[in-house]
Amino acid sequence: MADVSLSAQHLVKRYGGVVALADGSLDVTSGEVLALMGANGSGKSTIGKIITGAVVPDGGRVLLDGEEVSFSSPQAARKAGISAVYQELSLVPDMTVAENVWLANEPVALGRVRRKERKERTARLLSLFEDALGPSVGPDSLVSVLSPSDRQIVEILKALSREPRIMILDEATASLGARQVEHLFELVGGWKAQGMALIFISHRMEEIFQIADKATVLRGGKTVGTADLEETSEEELVGLMIEGGGAPRHVEKPTEAAERAVLLETEDLRSSVLDGVSLKLVEGEILGLGGLQGQGQPDLLLALFGAVAHSGTVRLAGENVRFSHPRQAMRKGLAFVPGDRGGEGLLPIRSILENLLLPSWSRYGAFLNVRRARKDSEDVSEDLSLKMGSLEDPVSSLSGGNAQKVVLGKWLMRDPKVLLLDDPTKGVDVGAKGEFYKILSDLQERGVAILLHSSDDEELLGLCDRVLVMRDGVVRRELSGGDLNKSALVSASVGSSDGPPSGGAA
Amino acid sequence: MKRIGLNPIVIALILAVILFAVGGIVQPGFASYGQAMNILRLAAFLGIVAAGQTLVIISGGEGIDLSVGAVITLGAILVFRIGDGQNDQALLALAIALGVGLLIGATNGLGITLLGIPPLVMTLGMTGVVQGLILVITGGRVEGGAAPALTGLVTNPLILGIPGVIFLWLLLGALMWALLRRTAYGRRLFAIGTNRVTAKLSGVRVPSVLVLTYALSGMLAALGGVVLLGYTEQVFLNLGDPYTLPSVAAVVVGGTLLAGGVGSYFGTMAGALVLTLLTSLLTALDLPESMRLIVYGATLLLLLSLYGRQKALRQ
Amino acid sequence: MSAASLGGRLRRVALRQSYAFALVLLVVTVAVNYYLQPNFFQPGLLSGNLLLFVPLMLVAVGQTVVVIGGGIDLSLGAIVSMANVIIVTLMAQEPSASRILLALGAGLGAGILAGALNGFCVAVLRFQPIVTTFATSFVFSGLALYVLPEPGGTIPPGLQGFYYTNPLGLPMVLWVVIVVLLLWNLLRSTRYGPYLYATGGRDLSAFVSGVPVSSVRFLSYCIAGLMAALAALALALSTGTGNPIGGTELMLQSIVAVVLGGTRLSGGQGGVVGSIIGVVILSLIQSIVSFSPAPSSWQTLINGLIVVAALAGPGLFALLRRGVRT
Repeated sequence: MADVSLSAQHLVKRYGGVVALADGSLDVTSGEVLALMGANGSGKSTIGKIITGAVVPDGGRVLLDGEEVSFSSPQAARKAGISAVYQELSLVPDMTVAENVWLANEPVALGRVRRKERKERTARLLSLFEDALGPSVGPDSLVSVLSPSDRQIVEILKALSREPRIMILDEATASLGARQVEHLFELVGGWKAQGMALIFISHRMEEIFQIADKATVLRGGKTVGTADLEETSEEELVGLMIEGGGAPRHVEKPTEAAERAVLLETEDLRSSVLDGVSLKLVEGEILGLGGLQGQGQPDLLLALFGAVAHSGTVRLAGENVRFSHPRQAMRKGLAFVPGDRGGEGLLPIRSILENLLLPSWSRYGAFLNVRRARKDSEDVSEDLSLKMGSLEDPVSSLSGGNAQKVVLGKWLMRDPKVLLLDDPTKGVDVGAKGEFYKILSDLQERGVAILLHSSDDEELLGLCDRVLVMRDGVVRRELSGGDLNKSALVSASVGSSDGPPSGGAA
Repeated sequence: MKRIGLNPIVIALILAVILFAVGGIVQPGFASYGQAMNILRLAAFLGIVAAGQTLVIISGGEGIDLSVGAVITLGAILVFRIGDGQNDQALLALAIALGVGLLIGATNGLGITLLGIPPLVMTLGMTGVVQGLILVITGGRVEGGAAPALTGLVTNPLILGIPGVIFLWLLLGALMWALLRRTAYGRRLFAIGTNRVTAKLSGVRVPSVLVLTYALSGMLAALGGVVLLGYTEQVFLNLGDPYTLPSVAAVVVGGTLLAGGVGSYFGTMAGALVLTLLTSLLTALDLPESMRLIVYGATLLLLLSLYGRQKALRQ
Repeated sequence: MSAASLGGRLRRVALRQSYAFALVLLVVTVAVNYYLQPNFFQPGLLSGNLLLFVPLMLVAVGQTVVVIGGGIDLSLGAIVSMANVIIVTLMAQEPSASRILLALGAGLGAGILAGALNGFCVAVLRFQPIVTTFATSFVFSGLALYVLPEPGGTIPPGLQGFYYTNPLGLPMVLWVVIVVLLLWNLLRSTRYGPYLYATGGRDLSAFVSGVPVSSVRFLSYCIAGLMAALAALALALSTGTGNPIGGTELMLQSIVAVVLGGTRLSGGQGGVVGSIIGVVILSLIQSIVSFSPAPSSWQTLINGLIVVAALAGPGLFALLRRGVRT
């Protein structure tokens, strides 16, 4: 393909009173991979959306091959040769892989869609990821039955089918397994050689250093610098991303866990995803759940909380329990912070007050004593240093970190004994993460038992006393003490040193 | 859904006043106290039925109750038959009517929660069943009477020339406010309407709340039928039909979102008032029925343009 | 390919379709009907009976298109009434060929325009479909009453006779079904097919992929309006007169037929084949009830209960399967 160059200059974008982008710029040319980095809220996603035509900027300009362009829709950007890979945003679940890949771009003849050709072209695209796709994934497979990582690959193929000159990958590797990421990077190498320009939006340092040539860093809606990755270090990049350095990645760990009481234990826990999980959780400990994404970690938490059907034994403080609904688990002192904060943990359009009180209304009488409820929520908000306007503001007005505090707050109001957390700091900026870790450590000191699933390996290693690495719905290894390091975690996750599944006992 | 400008309740009330004034200008005698009472009374019937509809719509999940029309008729017929024009059986008749309405609503709720049937489809199907029940009970003919106490309550002035049913409606308004804002049920209802997964993961038993909601809707529809009987003093087989879709319109005009999770009964009351005023105005203007229908539909569309619009896909 | 493997392949294809359950229901209702009244299935009687349901079939097809696109149309009954009186009134004035064509054109045009109004409000102005089409139904009903305040008017007897013939030996009902299915297949095989299913399946994904979502929705309502007008024509041909309130019942039944046929109201899947089967099922249920020994005052109730049971079917199966597993 012919040489191409893209230059975004001083882009501005406002949403109401919020400035998403104050001065965003980047440059990328043929055969180059540019990494776009920044903390959440830095504007990196917004620049991506402007370039791909999903959002119209309020200021600044975009130059394609030296000429100013303005895209009114994603379709317009695609016609200009700019294609974006979203995180599963553009797939229709009830349609097949082939239908999805060629949606709005179907091969037609005489007005009719050429189905056979569509299927063949899709098969060819799928073969690019040959052995990295799940079994029996074909052009006629329904997207709804595919795993998240396979769906991400379909998204990539969809972008590729448009034969772009510039491809933007926005957090595209988040759902992919290690082998698929390798495959993707091989393909990227090939595309680079053909003259494609790529923009890689991510926060995964390893991958960035592996695949990108340059990195442009955004902070607070402004481009703060561009670095040549051959000559820059990780610390320097992180320094650009965060003002005043990073937050501490870990907390003080308490000493011996051996003599403390077992609060929660399971034996042979099974569900549609879990294949026999046994574990013990003692008071005051933070037990980590690690491993690749989609291996059953959230499902374990959901089963323990009574939100999904399961079988096997669960004992709480020695007593056998069987939770068929979260309400029962709640009453026994369990609490659950879901992975999808906005979609499962909060009621975004409703007030902070309502969100905090949602599990606890029955404590305020048949005719609700709103004054007492209000006082209790004020107390909790103070304890958590919640930065908000007033309790009546909708939760959607809060930043990611503060919104997560609300999710935590609604449980803290009930003094839980066991806290189940599913990737709680995903999408939370670095400053708020530090506050969150402090809260966890306070809870730990009070004897609360915490089961934490995190997709961030550093976080797991820094916070947890022990880590259970899960694969295919079972606990494969338990890491503790000297074993609790990065390489052991990674190798247990990808299964390179497999033994029989471990029982995970303390 | 995005709403433009002011509180929809305020808009609705302003509209009501405008309509009333226009009526007074166009047709002398329209803006009289007696006529206002009449209109309020008619609005009360719609308002009582729309109370249940409000709950159902707030519950989200494309919640809607299309069976209210048939339940209105059934409630009226039950009281008509059992009461038989006497006062002594009146309370029993009322209890039975409300109980049956509750059961039918609960059946709707169970079909929706246990069997996963969409509310529109389930309540539509139940309409047929209730209509069938009505035919079985009446055998096609209707015998009985409206208890004098009932007609007295509804038609005759109680205090200051205001008929009793209006006080009943106001009382219902107060009860609905308390239900929605001051009970755990109400809070949970709004939560379910906003996000069912969050609600469940926060300990709310979603199916129970839903069944209760639809049961209440059935009961309130039956209540609507009972008071309607007090007004018409007659029953006929499609007594309640004209109230089904207008009850949904009243809820929407009152600012409750069809998507669920947001709303209030005061809004519905205002909406019922506006719709009733519109109909009365059109009747008073002595337009032919064809014109009345067209203007009614066009006005509804106009109202929708004010605050019935959904979010755009493009930002 | 041997006959057995072809049969097996057909079976597997059929079971994967959204109307699989509808087929089961169809078989059940046919069996019960046959048991109660074997004579029902005599060709002449059967086609005559089904002919009465052609208007509902056409409305259900229009409703299906709208529903697949993620919407719903509660004004279809009113559009039928309106188009019906327009057609009859124009035809009754003068039974010449050009008149007839004018009447047809006006009727179909009115249907399309009515659909366009709905489409404009829902797709462009982004009003909510349920309340919007409820509002427009008043407008169309009013227009129907304006054109023809009382039922009346006649259509040329020759035309009416044609409706009851069997061209090429096949019943008229079958012709209607064949033509409708051919047109549907044609529509579905163009780009509009994937566009419609994507719009109903997940409109945000469709939009981001470049599907002209608003236009797709707008067109779906226009198609529904056209189908309603065709239903009005069928109604006029079958009854021979015009009726300004003839369409109301059709609208509600069309929704039931669509759901019975396996199309979900949330959109994105299903199809016209299922809805046609749904209409046939409804007609069979009606005859089952009338042939049954139940007293006449109970018939509506039984009909209603059977319909609810049919609607509950898929959900009931899922419930039983879940209960058995865990």
